[in-house]
Amino acid sequence: MMPSKIMTIAYYTFRELYKSKILLNVFFVGLGLVVVTFVATEFTYGVPERIALDFGLGMLSLSSLGISLFLGVNLLSKEMESRTVYMVIARPVPRYAFILGKLVGLLGIQALNVIVLSALTLASTAFLGGELSPILFWAIGFTLLESLLLLLCVVLISLLANTILSVIFSMVLLVLGHAVKETQGLSFVENHPALKALLDFYHFVLPAFHKLNLKDYVIYKKSLPLSYLLPNVAYGTIYSLGLLCLIVFLFQRKNLD
Amino acid sequence: MINFSNVTKIFKSDILTQNFTALNDVSFQVPAGSMVGFLGANGAGKTTSLKIIMDFIRPTGGRVEFSPEMGATKLEIRRNLGFLPERPYFYPNLTGLEFLYFMGTLSEISRSDIAREVAYWGPRFRVDHALGRELKTYSKGMLQRIGFLSTILHHPKLIILDEPLSGLDPIGRKELKDVIIEVHKQGKTVFFSSHIVPDVEEICDRVIFLKEGRLVYDGPVNSLLVSDQERDYVILVQGGKVLEDRAKSTVTLPDEVRRYVVPSSAKDQFLSAAVAAGGNVFSLELVKPSLEEIFYQTQGRK
Repeated sequence: MMPSKIMTIAYYTFRELYKSKILLNVFFVGLGLVVVTFVATEFTYGVPERIALDFGLGMLSLSSLGISLFLGVNLLSKEMESRTVYMVIARPVPRYAFILGKLVGLLGIQALNVIVLSALTLASTAFLGGELSPILFWAIGFTLLESLLLLLCVVLISLLANTILSVIFSMVLLVLGHAVKETQGLSFVENHPALKALLDFYHFVLPAFHKLNLKDYVIYKKSLPLSYLLPNVAYGTIYSLGLLCLIVFLFQRKNLD
Repeated sequence: MINFSNVTKIFKSDILTQNFTALNDVSFQVPAGSMVGFLGANGAGKTTSLKIIMDFIRPTGGRVEFSPEMGATKLEIRRNLGFLPERPYFYPNLTGLEFLYFMGTLSEISRSDIAREVAYWGPRFRVDHALGRELKTYSKGMLQRIGFLSTILHHPKLIILDEPLSGLDPIGRKELKDVIIEVHKQGKTVFFSSHIVPDVEEICDRVIFLKEGRLVYDGPVNSLLVSDQERDYVILVQGGKVLEDRAKSTVTLPDEVRRYVVPSSAKDQFLSAAVAAGGNVFSLELVKPSLEEIFYQTQGRK
């Protein structure tokens, strides 16, 4: 019975977002992507398909992370502000079903965004004579996983802090999660054991978003072995499941006042 | 149906400000089949009490119990419960019909049953013409009405409403009151908070007063009105000697009729004196204070 309630909430969450202006944004990002790709290739000698890929994956990443950040932060706070959460959980719906349904609904929008922008990127690349290598599809999958991880971070933080702080904290986590690996390799850090230990601890505990970024490999046509890809998929999946459990645990106990 | 027992709720704030006690050892019952009004000024603790009943927030102390007929588990209880929060905004991009199907499906009723209920109640709530429109185009009154419709779609045994009549025009209030009375007559227990005292007086058989987080009164509306010790009688006497010194106030009307206001404790002596003084007593009427007057007296605003 509960899976059907999760899917009911997911369906109407998807419909609510689908009818909002969010898909208009996806449309304009897609249009911008095509225009920018076309203009940029005019100034490029020899590698127009690389420009198409660079812009395409960049836009896809920005758009997905933007949706996670700005829709994720309102996923619960808006429900509480407008008291719609009371309308739903006053019915025979456990709180975990509510939160899972909301997340699945938002992920549906996220998937739609990824499909539209990926299709445009792949079409532009193919049109400009680029090769659609398997690593490109891995990169698209990793972008979806990265945006899922960011979405869960935002939702978790929004259960503990207000909207603005949640956005700021999540952006800081995202930037640090991408920069932490490079920073660990700096000679300054190598020479300061305390700082290195702190960064190692950060890298171990907080989300390492850099593990889910394959864009550089795609653009420079580097192939990656499964022994690199699968552990990173496992990292993103397990970390996301951990965050999901924490979100459900906190939401079950949260005072909805 | 609901046993709200010794409930205390303290909202903890930061170290610079004091904790706020929203409810202080409040106890009351909502009997099965009753229509109970929940009164109190802003900040009296009504919405906090309803949120505790609905398990949206946890009490600091005390407990809330439901009668066995409501069910044994939380989910069973919610199958038999309809709740409408104060000024809900709903999902602006869903149509009215989508919203009703959403709520009905979550309440475990089939699509055909939802369609039947919507066909029956839609015209009663005057929302049938707008069901295909997005909720963001609805007026405040229409949102309140469709919200109430979604609350009764699944035929709950207990209906809890937080300020259901606020924001409605007089016609909307009358219509909603009529529907509340109708569902109550079908055997539903109704518990609703309101600021509009005459509405509570008009349709409720019991009333619960809260003041600054404390219970002031819990009982039948009539008992509250009758138990008031300050009641007066208006006595109309024609002719006879003027008995100004025996009455709280005296007004002389045409044809030598005098209107005396006399406290209930002095009524019998006054009547004897009026007859002895040659007057013709032709009207005796109890001045019945309205619930609103008692409410404001209780709030210390009169």
